[in-house]
Amino acid sequence: MSGFALSRRSLIAAGIGGATLAGLGGLPAAARDLRLRMFWWGAKERAERTDKVNQLYLSSHPDMTIASETLGWTDYWARLATQTAGRNAPDVLQMDYRYIFEYARRGALLPLDAYVPKALNLTDFSPAAVDSGKVDGKIYGVSLGLNSTAMVYDKGLIQTLGLKEPVWNMTWSEIGDLAAEVTKAAKRDGFTGMEDGGGNEPLLEVWLAQRGKSLYTAEGKVGYDDKDMTEWLAFWTDMRKRGASAAPDVQALDRGEIDSNLLSLGKVAMTFAHSNQLVGFQAINKSKLGLSTFPDGGQGAKPGQYLKPAMMWSVSAQSKQAEAAVQLVSYFIADTEAGKLLGVERGVPASSAVRNVVTPTLDDLGRAMVDYISLISDKVGALPPPPPRGAGEIQSVLRRVNEQVGFGRLTPADGAKQFVTEASAVLARG
Amino acid sequence: MVDLGTSDEISPPRDGRRHALLYHVVLCLASIAMLYPLLWMLASSFKPDSDIFGDASLWPRHFSLAAYWRGWSGLQVTFGKFFLNSLVVSLCSVVGNVMSCSLAAYAFARLKFRGQKFWFALMLGTLMLPYHVTLIPQYILFLNLDWVDTFLPLIVPKFLAVDAFFIFLLVQFFRSIPRELDEAAMIDGCGPWRIYWIVILPLSIPALATAAIFTFIWTWDDFFGPLIYLNDMNSYTVQLGLRSFVDSTGKSDWGALFAMSTLTLLPLFVFFLFFQRLLIDGIATMG
Amino acid sequence: MADTLIDAPASRQALAAAHAPETSWRESATGYLFLAPWLIGFFGLTLGPALVSLYLSFTDYDLLSNPRWVGAANYVRIATSDPKFSAAMHVTFLYVVLSVPLKLAFALLVAMMLNRGLRGLPLYRAIFYLPSLIGASVAVSVLWRQVFAGDGLLNQALKLVGIHGPSWISNPDTALYTLVALAVWQFGSPMIIFLAGLRQIPKDVYEAAEIDGASRSQQFWRITLPLLTPVLFFNVVVQTIDAFKAFTPAFIISGGTGGPIDATLFYTLYLYQEAFAYFRMGYASALAWVLVVIIAVFTALSFLSSRYWVHYDG
Repeated sequence: MSGFALSRRSLIAAGIGGATLAGLGGLPAAARDLRLRMFWWGAKERAERTDKVNQLYLSSHPDMTIASETLGWTDYWARLATQTAGRNAPDVLQMDYRYIFEYARRGALLPLDAYVPKALNLTDFSPAAVDSGKVDGKIYGVSLGLNSTAMVYDKGLIQTLGLKEPVWNMTWSEIGDLAAEVTKAAKRDGFTGMEDGGGNEPLLEVWLAQRGKSLYTAEGKVGYDDKDMTEWLAFWTDMRKRGASAAPDVQALDRGEIDSNLLSLGKVAMTFAHSNQLVGFQAINKSKLGLSTFPDGGQGAKPGQYLKPAMMWSVSAQSKQAEAAVQLVSYFIADTEAGKLLGVERGVPASSAVRNVVTPTLDDLGRAMVDYISLISDKVGALPPPPPRGAGEIQSVLRRVNEQVGFGRLTPADGAKQFVTEASAVLARG
Repeated sequence: MVDLGTSDEISPPRDGRRHALLYHVVLCLASIAMLYPLLWMLASSFKPDSDIFGDASLWPRHFSLAAYWRGWSGLQVTFGKFFLNSLVVSLCSVVGNVMSCSLAAYAFARLKFRGQKFWFALMLGTLMLPYHVTLIPQYILFLNLDWVDTFLPLIVPKFLAVDAFFIFLLVQFFRSIPRELDEAAMIDGCGPWRIYWIVILPLSIPALATAAIFTFIWTWDDFFGPLIYLNDMNSYTVQLGLRSFVDSTGKSDWGALFAMSTLTLLPLFVFFLFFQRLLIDGIATMG
Repeated sequence: MADTLIDAPASRQALAAAHAPETSWRESATGYLFLAPWLIGFFGLTLGPALVSLYLSFTDYDLLSNPRWVGAANYVRIATSDPKFSAAMHVTFLYVVLSVPLKLAFALLVAMMLNRGLRGLPLYRAIFYLPSLIGASVAVSVLWRQVFAGDGLLNQALKLVGIHGPSWISNPDTALYTLVALAVWQFGSPMIIFLAGLRQIPKDVYEAAEIDGASRSQQFWRITLPLLTPVLFFNVVVQTIDAFKAFTPAFIISGGTGGPIDATLFYTLYLYQEAFAYFRMGYASALAWVLVVIIAVFTALSFLSSRYWVHYDG
């Protein structure tokens, strides 16, 4: 008897529950002609600027809607991977120079060559800028901002200490000397002139390029040998010994983000980052910051740095509105009004027409970034060979090996051997 | 008559004043140690961004409420909407979880049925699988049901007793209730449903309150589920909203993050204060 | 009703007689009815995805293209040639062994102190629970660095007594301990559960013992602890499973790196890296199932041992 009552009661409960749940599911979206989904990483400012551009675009395309999503860097990739795996990827997505190879080669992105020049206006892009979005010869990403590696340094502090500011033609040893001087002059506990760059992959990449090598060969193997790596690790060991660069247990605080960077933590005066991060750094540093290049290779060295896209727009291969998506992308990078709204928040505009219109409207920080790009434009080299499949892991291998050397668990020579072996294994695994 | 204690304040400790003082001192010191990180966060929410990391003191040099304003209305969606969303999700989860888990726990703890041990082992097994790997298949499942970008993937599983932790918790509590009470009710003619409703549930109010508190807090603090199922910023929950203040590659708004983090603790605190009375106060006396 | 409680062997026999064998079908049906929501959830939401993940563990799946069958290759690699697996297992085991007993000891200690009926009890209770409320928010990573870095609050306090501490959070020898500290700091949850368990122990049992002249310590060992064993068992099993599966503390404090030098590479963090950072979801699935087996073995052992030390009243 009670069993029967139970089932009736639970049926009613289920019915009510079901109705509530359906209501919670939300009202269906009003039917529209065209709906594009756009996804990017960034914080509030980028979201505001992007939304303004979208509004402007919609004012001339009233039959469309743009649903935008944004997240921080780490969360972005987790959600994007999940959505792509579930075949629910957004139409327009922001891509990074490192990840684009992974996504493009696995067929997640749409090749855009067919859309140039009608739907996708790249006329004011330099060939290098166009190439920077190519994977295996096809265009998969459109550069949203020119960027390069850069040293961000504490201008205010160095000037106060009466020392020379770093300049573009200072070599590695000169930068090391300067860092040691800064450490001595600053006399602060736990403070050194520069960070420990041994575990910094972009820095290693520049150094290798200066000696005519690279991170990867065109065949997808490592582009350096034990000797190179020994020299690299030994240099940084020497820097640490001289007090020019940060001690290992200080460097380990750096988790690869602006807010945990040693410059932001007040532990160093010079850090190795990217030029478009200047704004982010200045926001949390009271002292005035400046931009300079990575150390110069000296006489006879090849150019080390190259222009890379800070970030790119890509279109998902799964998109059902590819044409409309590409047109939206084109608007972002070629329209001067859009360019003015975006500013240099994502990097220096790649289109020269947009750049010319935007530069006069910038503040000091923005202008510093543009000036930096102009400064290095004639000093950069070509794009290096692209990362092979699985190469993303090597950055953490380098970081860990440098820590092991730093904490005294490996000599530079042993560390070099281990790094080369592990990196080769990673690439072999794919 | 069984008197199971109904008040927070029992008669003064028999040890006398000195012991009470000692306890208070120990508890006070421990409280400070426990709270220090949170106090630092509270202090930082009143500091300008450039001071937060440079200045370790607990007292802000420049006191300002700017971070609270920025945090509340600074994003494209006011933070209040995130609170509302979180409330909806968490409260529904509490209802669903307590209902479904107590039903399942009663079955495991009190009833006999074929295959009971087998299902119990499986239930425990579901506790052991890390969620990262069932993530993608579940996402695809919800995608096919067209539930993505709604609250449904976050709430419906709670009504299906997906959280084995609570089933297990309630099983342990149910099993420690004397069987004589069941048997007495049976003699009075109660079937299993009435026993569940009249005997077991009232005696388990501390356990149910515990389950309610935990469910609320854990769904409030959950971010991975909302991360992948809630695309539209208008439906973000509080944790997702908090993470929008931080972008490791660009400019983050730490003051706003700390300010809003402090605010998000408040409903949790209130919920906890309210429910902890149930935890302690309440077991109906039998009669 | 009260008199039927005290001693009713006769009525018990009557009950047993009333429940003849054929009612076991009826009992089974009732049992399954109560279990229905869970069964639906299990088959609909858990079993399917779990089986898919088991399948994926035998494939090479990069999330963006289709899975490719590789047989037991993933498992072979785990067993023989993955140094990171050993590192992660080592770190995780250490974390479990250190954090679970400490966390439970604090939880029980504080629960017992709070159970004594001091003034201001609700306030203390809430204060000790507050750290657990903050959960895994981004703010915690900053807080922890502020406390445990080389120039952090802990070292500043230690300086006052003349000790020069290392940079706890960024030194590979000590980094894990900061995570243990984080786990212990959030002992609020097991504490609440202990409190609920303590509260379910009838007062008159203690009173009777007092009358019989039992000391406080005797009361603890003879009354409290035995009656608390179901709850203690629960906490031990659940906290251990949670500790094995711990992810967020390591993720937010090491920034997802598991550093320095893999000192905080929790097993599920390693799994997450493989799945989402390096696009090796197949391998990650294999790692997950290895973890399931390890946890299952431990849990089974706990259950087997529980027969010897857990007392249920019912």
